[in-house]
Amino acid sequence: MNTAWILLSLLIFPGGLFLLGSGLVYEWVDRKLVARFQNRIGPRWFQPLADVVKLLAKEEIIPQEVHRGLFLLLPVLALAGALTAALYVPLIGFKPSFSFPGDLIVTLYLLSMMSLCMGLAGANTVDRFSLVGATRTLTQLFSYEAPFLLALLGPAIVTGSWQISQINAQAGNSLWFIITQPIGFVVALVGLMGKLELPPFDAPEAETEIVSGALTEYSGRGLALFRIGKDVELVIGLTLVAAFYLGGLANPIEFLLKTMGLLVVMAGLQSLFARLRIDQTVGLWWRVGALLALAQLLVLILLRG
Amino acid sequence: MDTEAALQTVEQLLKEYATEVKQPEQNRLDFSISVENLLEAIKTLKANQWGYLSFITGLDHPAPLTAEGEAPTEGNLEVLYHFAQGAAVATLRISLPYSKAEVPSVCGLIPSASLYERELMEMFGVNVVGTPDPRRLLLPDDWPEGVYPLRKSYQMVGGAAEPPVET
Amino acid sequence: MEKQDSNGKFIVPIGPQHPALKEPGHFEFAVEGEIVTGAAVRLGYVHRGIEKGAEARNWTQNIYLLERVCGICSHIHATAYTLGVEKLANVVAPPRAQAIRTLVAELERIHSHLLWLGVAAHEGGFDTLFMFSWRDRETVMDLLEMITGNRVHYSTNILGGVKIDLDDEKITAIRKGLDFLEERTHHYLKVINTDETFLGRTRDVGTMSRQQAEELGAVGPTARASGVPRDLRVEAPYAGYHEFPVRLITATEGDLHARFVVRMNECLDCYRVIREILDRLPGGELATRVPRRIPEGETISRVEAPRGELVYFIKSTGGDKPDRIKVRTPSLCNWGTVTSVAVGHKLADMPMLLAGIDPCFSCNDRMVRVNRPDQSQTWSWENLRQYGIEYYR
Repeated sequence: MNTAWILLSLLIFPGGLFLLGSGLVYEWVDRKLVARFQNRIGPRWFQPLADVVKLLAKEEIIPQEVHRGLFLLLPVLALAGALTAALYVPLIGFKPSFSFPGDLIVTLYLLSMMSLCMGLAGANTVDRFSLVGATRTLTQLFSYEAPFLLALLGPAIVTGSWQISQINAQAGNSLWFIITQPIGFVVALVGLMGKLELPPFDAPEAETEIVSGALTEYSGRGLALFRIGKDVELVIGLTLVAAFYLGGLANPIEFLLKTMGLLVVMAGLQSLFARLRIDQTVGLWWRVGALLALAQLLVLILLRG
Repeated sequence: MDTEAALQTVEQLLKEYATEVKQPEQNRLDFSISVENLLEAIKTLKANQWGYLSFITGLDHPAPLTAEGEAPTEGNLEVLYHFAQGAAVATLRISLPYSKAEVPSVCGLIPSASLYERELMEMFGVNVVGTPDPRRLLLPDDWPEGVYPLRKSYQMVGGAAEPPVET
Repeated sequence: MEKQDSNGKFIVPIGPQHPALKEPGHFEFAVEGEIVTGAAVRLGYVHRGIEKGAEARNWTQNIYLLERVCGICSHIHATAYTLGVEKLANVVAPPRAQAIRTLVAELERIHSHLLWLGVAAHEGGFDTLFMFSWRDRETVMDLLEMITGNRVHYSTNILGGVKIDLDDEKITAIRKGLDFLEERTHHYLKVINTDETFLGRTRDVGTMSRQQAEELGAVGPTARASGVPRDLRVEAPYAGYHEFPVRLITATEGDLHARFVVRMNECLDCYRVIREILDRLPGGELATRVPRRIPEGETISRVEAPRGELVYFIKSTGGDKPDRIKVRTPSLCNWGTVTSVAVGHKLADMPMLLAGIDPCFSCNDRMVRVNRPDQSQTWSWENLRQYGIEYYR
């Protein structure tokens, strides 16, 4: 692998620019679907891009009494984390750009960077809404992270590998894991929604209570980066779940169909429920999500052993 | 409860406090009472579970214009406590001279009166003694002290607020 | 920005500008973690001095001024006022006028309740219900526009009667609209009664016992959801409610969920009453003459607005202008319930709790005062009108 290839895969395709673009497309599909489910017209196709361009063109206001460096660094870090994670997943059905045994764990950690950065960003400012939002973001992080991880471990244990590319390949050769491990699939999908703070898990940014949660004080560039970061994470999350549970991703068409199918389900879930209070979210994950995922994991280990 | 019966009951209850009882409309009774009796009268209503405090109205009766040479008379404010039970309304009327515009707070008996009392204080300049939250409710923070917009002496004219002419 | 007040409490301000509030109001919630330990309210951000303004206008002009107290329940303000003035003038509006007043009032109630359903659902993060209920609200808005020519300020009332009439075409259209709305309302009732996440946000939240509701002076659907049988349309029928009685709808739970149920059931009863009015619409004149000068006297006019008891105190000194008009709107009564019930609840429940009483800020705030950096002054209506004209030139 030469340097040019590495740079290409990092900056243009499949990471970098391409990923940013597809993030915006997926955001649009999500918004449009939710709008249609709610009997609205929804945004036009370039709206997410227009939002980002507008935000980038705007003045970035740095509030008083924040740690300046941290304030500027966090959005970059969050986006970088998400972009790096992309290198280890089978985007567009191609083989991951990089792969090593155990990259599943690394990828999951990189994906958590986002929530962590948002929590820190909120705690960094002195705004009350941000502080409450940060507390909620981190609380939510602790509640969905374990079940989400357990849910993704299911396929890993069955295939006997901790390498995403291998799990992906194995998943393509066997019966879809969604049939053999339905609980894991549900937990993983809902966990992804929690990760992305989509309704009904949007308590950390519930605008009717705490304005915009941890990101209340962010404007301009910082806000744009956080938003793109979220979009990228949406794509990667969908890719991971599709690769693990929907029989792997072997080519671009499969990738498109499977991830979009998941997105339709997610949009449906988003418009079906009222927002959960943070205590209800935590309760749901630990009392139901984690237990179910654990139970399934036990069954898998026993069956294998 | 029948409206007539309700009015008879309330008349029995409040007769001893009232200096004057009037029936301006079929479903209403007005009791003119002195300030000292206000709390007692409301206590009686509450003890007998007659109605609820529907609202408090302030009225301003400025002194009539005096002919030259006559001594000017003092204007007065009136505070009306309206209690409602079904269609029946009993009103406690308290008349206050400008120089001693003070009523005791009824919040101890009726907690919900707080907002009405705050409105009364800023709009009419009636000093409600002992109200739990004497801050402004409606007027802006930089509204001048001693300007009470619902008094007749306050005129809405172009430019700045005209202070009321104190008599 | 101060994080803590002198007592070391952490205060979360909601308003005057906050996404949860569609109108300006200011609330301060003292919190410990997510639990609210205290609440205070400050109003007046949209105070327009309507009570003072009314003293400078004649009896007829005041109808249009008072209708603008509120943009959601405009008709009911004009109704309370005209009924009061008619009482002072010893005039009774003809039966057909009273029936039409009642009809518009009930249509307005439907529109108000559906609007509230959407707002309350949005506060709870249930945007789908918000979008759907507002879409269906368009039906009743269209009906009102068809009948009166306006979507918001209907201007149906004149002193002594009404100025609009119904014909067969309109009646058919209203019936059709009602059928659609009734079906939708049944659907919403089902949603609020069965959706688990929604029940999780409404059941046992903001519970107010009957005794509390009576002590705090709650009115309207808020009181009725706590089991207080207080509805002026039943207790003291006005306008056409003698001929077209409504049912008193109460619930006993007193929580947010009960307020949803009470309001939706009220809508169902509205449909029934409106159909009855359409079936037996009295014939005859639409208005009677009312003198320009109203005889001296005082009257209290009480009506049931969508949010609860609305009271007008009208005093005439025999001139062509009122001496004093006091407006007591239902939202003012219900504030007290929020600030006392809030304590002990989670911050996340506050927006829904606020929305639960269906607050209407315009109703509470009725002087025009413009603050500019260079000067602070009170503007007269004339100044303001001029300013408005020049601003948009």
